[in-house]
Amino acid sequence: MQSESTRATSAAEARFRIDAPNSRPRAIKVIALDPASEAIVKNLAQEKWAHATFLTTLSARPRGEPFSMSGWLADLAGHIKDLVDEIDNADLVVMIASAGENAEAATIIGEACSLKRVMTTALVVAPTTVSDAALARTLSTLRPWALMLVVANDEDYIADMLVALRA
Amino acid sequence: MLKKEQSDLITLTAPGTPGGRLFRSYWMPALLSSELPENDCPPVRVKLLSERLLAFRDSKGRLGLIDEFCAHRGVSLWFGRNEEGGLRCPYHGWKYDHTGQCVEVPSEPVESGFCNKIKLKSYPLIELGGVLWTYMGPAEKRPAEPGWEFAHVPPAHSFVSKRIQESNWLQAMEGGIDSSHVSFLHRGDLNSDPLFRGAKANQYNLKDSRPVFEVVESPGGLYIGARRNAENGSYYWRITPWVMPSFTMIAPRGNHPVHGHFWIPIDDENCWTWSFDYRPDRALTKEERQAMEDGKGIHVKYEPNTFRPLANKDNDYLIDRAGQKAGKTYSGVEGIAMQDASLQESMGPIVDRTKENLVSTDNGIIMARHRLVRATKALMDKDVVPPGVDTAHQTVRSAAIVLPPDQPFIEAAKEALTVRAGTSHASV
Repeated sequence: MQSESTRATSAAEARFRIDAPNSRPRAIKVIALDPASEAIVKNLAQEKWAHATFLTTLSARPRGEPFSMSGWLADLAGHIKDLVDEIDNADLVVMIASAGENAEAATIIGEACSLKRVMTTALVVAPTTVSDAALARTLSTLRPWALMLVVANDEDYIADMLVALRA
Repeated sequence: MLKKEQSDLITLTAPGTPGGRLFRSYWMPALLSSELPENDCPPVRVKLLSERLLAFRDSKGRLGLIDEFCAHRGVSLWFGRNEEGGLRCPYHGWKYDHTGQCVEVPSEPVESGFCNKIKLKSYPLIELGGVLWTYMGPAEKRPAEPGWEFAHVPPAHSFVSKRIQESNWLQAMEGGIDSSHVSFLHRGDLNSDPLFRGAKANQYNLKDSRPVFEVVESPGGLYIGARRNAENGSYYWRITPWVMPSFTMIAPRGNHPVHGHFWIPIDDENCWTWSFDYRPDRALTKEERQAMEDGKGIHVKYEPNTFRPLANKDNDYLIDRAGQKAGKTYSGVEGIAMQDASLQESMGPIVDRTKENLVSTDNGIIMARHRLVRATKALMDKDVVPPGVDTAHQTVRSAAIVLPPDQPFIEAAKEALTVRAGTSHASV
């Protein structure tokens, strides 16, 4: 007689697996931290996403003015967004940075996510031409605020990651 | 979640498939040297990448890996006579050399040269580090011989085993780069298994079950760093290299030997899990070797005269519910290797990745898939040699290290992640 495990793991038995959704949509906020990343995020936003929102920390930032929580985050059309509101509605925040660029905005986003207990992932696009020192600078800014930190050689990975996370 | 077409691209490895072509770019472990212990020993059936093959060591010690079946009437040459420099089919006496070239057809006049027109498909087979390796790709693209450190240490420094795993290779391999499961599935073994216990690092694993991960691309694949809290604000890092398509090395623990794996497709629903232990700096002790032979650590006990684990799906992996309840094991299955294999086989022969719900700590798996898909497409579309073929990509090490909070592992551990002949791994 076959064991339970032998029966249950056959290809034939796989036909009887329940074919119904096993998760509800997760809201993912993708935030560009620097000008190069903003271009990447704008490209990404052209694709069809069900549960991802794309934001930037740059367009809305008043030039030369001191930092303020309001008027600091924007969608890609330039509409001002409130960071806390956005994080309140997020299951995951993905911060996109480019190696060698200033990623200081991660401090604010990370702190807010920490307070709200929202998972953070930081993804650094680091072409092989970027120096180790430049990459290290960006990483050291991100590290305290990312529960998952990924260094990818090219931006194609971001789309694959978002698909994998059902964005 | 992975789209079905992408999953198919990298899980299916039969001849003519993109995934099969990817694997055919590499030297792969095919048999243990001990399976062909002497000249003219019995031949051994081998199935790799959905092809039925036969391995033998001829009278001169030459290694052959050829089509299993005689070109005449399709008889399995496993019944063949391995003698006088070749393998002779017992049915009508056709004889083949180690390259698959037919060298005798007794029924035909020698002068006719008939046998010269008969040649079985064959692949090179080389011996290195107690393993017989094959390369199943085009002859003109044959890479340099394997450069893995464990295969180049003296025989007394290493131990290699293999076992059949009844699942597709990819779900087995993905388990090998999923560092976050250790604190759960294997927690019962960290302090009891003779090849794991006693390391200071085990306490870091057990005290902090929510590691923070960093995934960094390397020329041959990835480095996956798992960071846990250590003393005085410092971090304990476990760094696992993954080299394409299916090599990983587990971060060391204390003074124990270092472990690693390859996962090699037998067919689309079965794979070989190769497991090795080694020390670059010293011979394995008698106790360590005995523990490995007894199926401890990442090795297994076998059904007699097979490479099938003693605990397998036919006996429900000898699950011990009382042991599970008492906390002796987390899943009820004994042994680190079968704890992994039982769960990976439970997913079914090829897991349906369209139904999974990955989370951001699965980025190591997501990145590995991304690189496999990218390399497979580049190979198919532009004939680009995939990462991991270059022996420089193979000279990697795992490491376990405690670092101050501001030091990135990829820089602080750069030297520790590179092979330095004769020196020990960085370990905690």
